[in-house]
Amino acid sequence: MKKNLYKPDLMEVLEVQQQTPDVKSVRVRFRDGDRGRDFSFRVGQFGQFSVFGSGEATFNICSSSNWKDYIEFCFRRTGRVTETLWQVGKGDTIGFRGPYGNGYPMEAWEGRDLIFIGGGIAMPPIRCAVWYALENRAKYGDITIVYGARTVADLTYAAELDEWSKQERVRVVRCVDPGGETPDWKGEVGLIPAVLERAAVPAQNAVALVIGPPIMIKFTLPVLDRMGLKEEDIYTSLENRMKCGVGKCGRCNAGPVYVCKDGPVFTMRQLRSIPNDF
Amino acid sequence: MSTVLSVADLRGRIAGWIGEGKVVVAPVEVGGRLLYQALSAASQAVFDARRRPANSIKEFFFPRHEPIFRYRLEGKEIVLSDVAPEEREQIVIAAKPCDAAALPILDHVFNWDFEDSFYTARRARTTVISLACAMEDDACFCTSVGSGPADEAGSDAVLYEVEGGFEGRGITEKGGGLFDRTATVRERCEDATVRSLTVAVRKGEIAKYLEGNFESPIWKDLTLACLGCGACAYTCPTCHCFDIVDEGNAAGGARVKNWDSCQFPFFTLHASGHNPRSAQPQRQRQRLFHKFLIYPQKFNAILCTGCGNCERNCPVGLGVRKVLEAIDGELRRVDEKEPVQA
Amino acid sequence: MTERLRQTVRRLLAEDKVKVVIGYGASKAGTPAPPIFVTRPEDADKLEWNDRCFANLSVYLTRKEVKALGKAAVVVKGCDERALVVLEKESQIDRSALFVIGMACDGVGAPKCAHCQVHVPRFADEVIGTQAEPPAPPNGPNGLDRLMAKSPAERWAFWTAEFSRCVKCYACRQVCPLCYCERCITDKNRPVVIDTSATPKGNFAWHITRAFHLAARCIGCGECTRACPAGIPLGLLNQSLAQATVENFGYRPGMDLAAEPVFGAWSPKDKEDFIG
Repeated sequence: MKKNLYKPDLMEVLEVQQQTPDVKSVRVRFRDGDRGRDFSFRVGQFGQFSVFGSGEATFNICSSSNWKDYIEFCFRRTGRVTETLWQVGKGDTIGFRGPYGNGYPMEAWEGRDLIFIGGGIAMPPIRCAVWYALENRAKYGDITIVYGARTVADLTYAAELDEWSKQERVRVVRCVDPGGETPDWKGEVGLIPAVLERAAVPAQNAVALVIGPPIMIKFTLPVLDRMGLKEEDIYTSLENRMKCGVGKCGRCNAGPVYVCKDGPVFTMRQLRSIPNDF
Repeated sequence: MSTVLSVADLRGRIAGWIGEGKVVVAPVEVGGRLLYQALSAASQAVFDARRRPANSIKEFFFPRHEPIFRYRLEGKEIVLSDVAPEEREQIVIAAKPCDAAALPILDHVFNWDFEDSFYTARRARTTVISLACAMEDDACFCTSVGSGPADEAGSDAVLYEVEGGFEGRGITEKGGGLFDRTATVRERCEDATVRSLTVAVRKGEIAKYLEGNFESPIWKDLTLACLGCGACAYTCPTCHCFDIVDEGNAAGGARVKNWDSCQFPFFTLHASGHNPRSAQPQRQRQRLFHKFLIYPQKFNAILCTGCGNCERNCPVGLGVRKVLEAIDGELRRVDEKEPVQA
Repeated sequence: MTERLRQTVRRLLAEDKVKVVIGYGASKAGTPAPPIFVTRPEDADKLEWNDRCFANLSVYLTRKEVKALGKAAVVVKGCDERALVVLEKESQIDRSALFVIGMACDGVGAPKCAHCQVHVPRFADEVIGTQAEPPAPPNGPNGLDRLMAKSPAERWAFWTAEFSRCVKCYACRQVCPLCYCERCITDKNRPVVIDTSATPKGNFAWHITRAFHLAARCIGCGECTRACPAGIPLGLLNQSLAQATVENFGYRPGMDLAAEPVFGAWSPKDKEDFIG
């Protein structure tokens, strides 16, 4: 029988971690060992993860493509599928279809300084690129991570942020919104664009990956511009409602661009020509 | 040499195919309308080159509801099982050329990088026999989008209405099994009566116009009457948007692929509550864009065969033709002000 | 009548009494008159009145894109006007902020006119045209009588065959002025109440639910039947419940401004001794 593109792989849940009050990360491995061994992906790609009976949802694969024992995704408890995903635990079975999308151009970024900027639930799609770069340390220059959330409790992968800050030529700038700090908070307080500006990151040889809600991106772009970054060197990962993930169901296009096929990773230059349709 | 077949002859052939266990699809009178349906009896088949079924033949390749696999929930274990594929051969007869021509257009998206094996399997086991068209209907505009009343695209064989009946000619190898490919058919069809609609579409300017007019008041002006149902999308031969949902109970169920329409209010609703197309004019714009800009850019094919179903089935008489006409009017106005250099 | 309509609209717009007039535009013979939205006095000439004015334009009064245009006038036939009465009772429109232009209608043809109860709108701000004769009562068994004469098994088979053609396009819902829920029950997925699939289960669930949600509210304009691209006689479902409403509650939706809606009012004199 011909391959059924809509049929997912069965995945065994290895571990579930609660990152914030409404965010969990899940590590899964292929129940079919051969499939697991043959599987590969590029950081920045996504998958359609499903709970059978509830449906599918789109999540970035937030583990490094160098890790062979599992893949990981992160989700916020928001709707029908994520509500049932919230109940999933070790040993359970979920579905996975992928990898889909274009991924980050990690090869093109070699030799450059990397500036990662993210807000809230945007850390997972940044995390995979950070780990990948750290695992190929010699190929990349200085790494700066500017990451913020509304409150301290909303920071995802907080422990890994600590780990990264101890690495060679890695600078981590954490921030929370004014009012979101705890008494012992040692990071920055402020909105990401302002924090980024204050951080005064050298950008002559940098590329930036900015992920977050549209309003955050809107106010971060002028800062990046002042830092000297050109539009073709600023990247983002878009979100849009998806179903098939492979460009057939007609749902995720933003103007002439299919987020699932032409994206989800775009440069700012490309984004300028994408109409307000996402 | 060819033989003139009467309706009775054709129905006789159909009876034979049904007897062989094939699924035969033809236009049928039902519910006060002409609709393509799988026949239970050959006598149901209607051969009328002057009428157009209110639906399209796409549902015999891309069904309105199709289980894509089943799942059983057994404690912590999940067992997936494949849906048994339909094995029977399928013959669509008396298809309008504008329905047949939609198939090669749809082939692009259903084979784009990943093959939709449900669609391709049905395509492979279906023979399409079109009936060349003699319609006189203002909603038609096939010649404006590169098709026409005798378009052979997507057809394996074609029937022509002649005096006393019909003559048939095979086009592809598949069709040659049913009708002689070397038959000399006295071809006759009234394409003079089909209005050539839009200068814009014919000259290919529609895509350029759309590109430059994403944010334009025309969307609101033209489409305020749209009520946001799916009648246009579902009766359209080329619309193919779909939804994937799980249906079942605690013991198990199926993941299914269902038709969906970009006109429904929640089509693009995010789980966060954000909806990029929260107003009807935005949704109407998407339909026009998908058909006349996005699909052509990706696949070099217009996602429309000018059949007019959208307009005929729209409860308020909208449809893409009216929007194209308005855009064409805009372009003519611009042309008159600044004549195009020859 | 068309010229009088245009005069009225010209005046309303020129005097800024309304911002938009929802009426019918031009169409070729045999095709429905399209709804149009006239905002300038000079465009009043685009309005038409003929026997192809099928649509129930009151459906636009609850759509946000139309509400955004400002104070409206709407052209209604007698059947359409009944929807206005129900919409007002259900607090969906502000009647005082609406200018109603009633058209005396000689009919737009079967199947819509088979159950006509109002040929001349009674509660309009302005009525155009007059009715020569009151409508003749339908003679002979109508579609509903024929259907109810069948046995339950036959009726089940009838609807199974009819619904086999339903593709879940929701044209029936979208043309209905009383289906104004911002999020229809079929769009809810936590939990899923009605399968969205066009299967026998999904189709029966949808149509029966919709009929029940319209019970004692449907005003019999027949738009759902007309709009169905598959030719399913949906109106029969609503008619059977309308008949039950008359028999049990003596109530006809949209006929009487003073009558309280069956599902919107409670009285100590209600027949049942329970609520629900």
